[in-house]
Amino acid sequence: MAEAATDLKEAPARPSAAEAPQAAPPPAAPPPPATAPPRMAGQAAPGSFIIVRDRYTLYCDKPIPSLDMPNAQAFEVTDRKQEGRPLYALICKPEMLPRVSVMRALKGHEMAHMLPMVDWGIAEWPPIDRKCAIVIYHRPLGGRLMESMAGGGKRIPDHLFPKTIIKPLADALIELGLKGITHRAIRPDNLYYMDEARTNIVLGDCVTCVPANDQPVVLEPIESGMCVPSARGSGTFADDMYALGATLLILAIGRNALQNVPDAEIIRRKIKDGSYGTLVSDERVPVSLIECFRGLLTDDMEQRWKPENIELWLAGKRLTPVQARAEPQSQRAFKFADMEFHSIRPLSYAMYLNWDKAIGVITDGSLEIWIRRGLELGDLADAIASSIKNSRAFGGQQKDQDDITLSRVLMILDPRAPVRMRDFRVALEGFGGSLAVATLAKQQLQPYTDFINRELWRHWITAQTKYHADNAQWETVFKDLRNYLKDTNSGAGIERCVYELTEWMPCLSPLIVDQYVMEVKGVLPALEVASKTVNTKLWPVDRHVAAFMRARYAKGVSTQIYAMNDPRPERATIVMLSVLAIVQWRLGPETLFGLASWVGGLMGTVINAYQSRPKRKEIEREMPKLIRKGNLAEIYNFLDNPEERQRDAEGFAWAKAEYAAAEKQAFDLEHGQIDRQESAIKSGQKSGAIAAVVIMLLTYTGFLVSNLF
Amino acid sequence: MAKAPVAKSMPPPASTKSNAFLYVLIATGVSFAIIPTIVVLSVALLPTGVAFLVERGKGWHCGVTVGSLNLAGAAPYLTDLWIHNHTVDGAIDVITNVWAYMVIYSAAGFGWAIYSTMPALLGSFMAMGAGRRIAALRDQQKELVQKWGPEVESVYEPEKKDKANSGLSNASLA
Repeated sequence: MAEAATDLKEAPARPSAAEAPQAAPPPAAPPPPATAPPRMAGQAAPGSFIIVRDRYTLYCDKPIPSLDMPNAQAFEVTDRKQEGRPLYALICKPEMLPRVSVMRALKGHEMAHMLPMVDWGIAEWPPIDRKCAIVIYHRPLGGRLMESMAGGGKRIPDHLFPKTIIKPLADALIELGLKGITHRAIRPDNLYYMDEARTNIVLGDCVTCVPANDQPVVLEPIESGMCVPSARGSGTFADDMYALGATLLILAIGRNALQNVPDAEIIRRKIKDGSYGTLVSDERVPVSLIECFRGLLTDDMEQRWKPENIELWLAGKRLTPVQARAEPQSQRAFKFADMEFHSIRPLSYAMYLNWDKAIGVITDGSLEIWIRRGLELGDLADAIASSIKNSRAFGGQQKDQDDITLSRVLMILDPRAPVRMRDFRVALEGFGGSLAVATLAKQQLQPYTDFINRELWRHWITAQTKYHADNAQWETVFKDLRNYLKDTNSGAGIERCVYELTEWMPCLSPLIVDQYVMEVKGVLPALEVASKTVNTKLWPVDRHVAAFMRARYAKGVSTQIYAMNDPRPERATIVMLSVLAIVQWRLGPETLFGLASWVGGLMGTVINAYQSRPKRKEIEREMPKLIRKGNLAEIYNFLDNPEERQRDAEGFAWAKAEYAAAEKQAFDLEHGQIDRQESAIKSGQKSGAIAAVVIMLLTYTGFLVSNLF
Repeated sequence: MAKAPVAKSMPPPASTKSNAFLYVLIATGVSFAIIPTIVVLSVALLPTGVAFLVERGKGWHCGVTVGSLNLAGAAPYLTDLWIHNHTVDGAIDVITNVWAYMVIYSAAGFGWAIYSTMPALLGSFMAMGAGRRIAALRDQQKELVQKWGPEVESVYEPEKKDKANSGLSNASLA
């Protein structure tokens, strides 16, 4: 359905009660909460709908609030080929980046205990008058397992829990694991019953936002929970297992015991008491499930249960109890922010929470002394001292230096934690997604550029105590990003970073942002549409389009886009045309009348680069004919004919020389009056003398002849 | 027949003196022979003499012009003298003829007139030619500008350029 053709029509007559599908009607949807944001269907004309793939009819005025996702809204869908098939569509919010690569992997696959994705694509969504990502799912007839994180829904009896809940979900994760996909949206309110009898449980949607963006902190491992939601990254299967464990625990208890606890406090408690203890709190946990929950909620990722462990546990095998690794403890407490700390990790998190106070204990050396003497970790103390020294070596404002220093010290204190710098908290893996979301939401990008330019990524990689093969790859990626940022030309900069990091990031050019273009192939058709509405004095290849093309189609147009930065306007303009012409020639479409007209209007500087006025007039006469053909390559070849250019240049040089020669001649004639008079006197006298001599000779001859004869 | 041997020695100086004497003898003879002509010319060519005197140091054009027409004016009388009555009496008849003076001196005056007006006349013709040429050059330049635009234009200022160049070189030398 990608780039699907759409139709906006009047609603067809709904099937009558007698013609209604045999499938049971979906459960009545609860009314949307009073605080719900304005729905994307808010501006839909009554009865409007779209048809995608000539098959699915999406009703813009028939929302299903009960199936909404935090970043997508649900609408009714009917299938023209299979009438009565229960479907619904999730319309992704334009300011959120969906997981397109996961959509491509899940589309059409019937996976055990996964909400079946029927189709997905990009289509015009009339209520907001722009294209959106749309995902069509089978409609879960049994509704959600839990209405919200706050609770609600029927509690499952303890003896049925392993068979009806744990087993199916573990199977779903095994299947996802086989495909190499992490779900990252496992939570109680994202589990559904496919059947009306509420026996077949499935994992819900996981593609309508960047990984784990919608996950509450309580369901995320400590490190992931520390990140800003968009910067958690795809994570690992261990993260899914943790979310499964937390979800199961909440389902078993029947409510989220940490519902009203702030996120920072949840993380603090998890660090201090461990995840299991924090999530259980004072609630009663079924004894038979404790071992499973402990295994899944182990904070040590390497010891955390895998789906195979669940299978073994379900088969009745008793597994080795997970033992939490003890962190080094100090006899002497370290006082910070009116609290006492005996180990590093809680202190590290407290320092992050009290950012401005934390810089004091670093600069006065008390932290280093406590680690060296209290914990007797000389190497760690040395690393901190070295880090402080190195950070101070770089110039810049004091505040920035302090921030960098503290950020680096926190990395050393807690290497597993994400990069933290005031409100900016990202995992390396989640940086791309977070940057994409920030760009889509038009947020401030300064923290992201600082992250790259100040090499926080390198410091984080250096701070890791365990080797990860991925880190070497990240280092290469971020080095490239730093080079893109240094380059201020079109086709580089932060725009390039966005597109390089995120494979399915749509092009964010203001010209075509509404067209939701994810592939280079779609750029020209989108510009063709835009040509009818945008200011045609703007270049169609702006910074975003240039960066998008360089990231997605580097082999095809990289050289040309680089050449677009030529300081000569006529050269830059013709190169811009060449970029579009190459894309049209290689990827189509064959005709682009609107874009040809748009580009043709920008070619004034190129035409004026010809010195010959007759040639200019000839080009201006021919241009409308070429524009009517809609072929950019023809326009380019006509305007940038090297032989014509050469001829024009030579003719101009000749004309200049001729003008100069005429000017010199005229100057000589105008300024040679005195010389001319002198010359006239001399010549006049000479010619007078000659004439006189001739007259004399003729006179004598005449008289002699007349006297003699 | 054998050729006589050629004498290789230089001719004696006595021979050279005899040649000069011969020339003087011939010239004297001729002078006596053309005395009537000389008498007429000595009176008729007074304007020519004046012309050579007045314009001396400024070239020979004035003398030649006036002299030529002066001679041309004397032509009817001289030819008549040479052919019909080449005697001193005939010469005296000519120099005592008022009409002869009028004709001869008028011709000289005409020569003077030619000498005076010819440069101005030629100057005017030359100026007219230059004007036409400048107009043609401006038309040519206008056509070039129409075809190639004002970028083709250039200004020719040789003196300023030379001064600028010399100033630059002086500055750089300093």
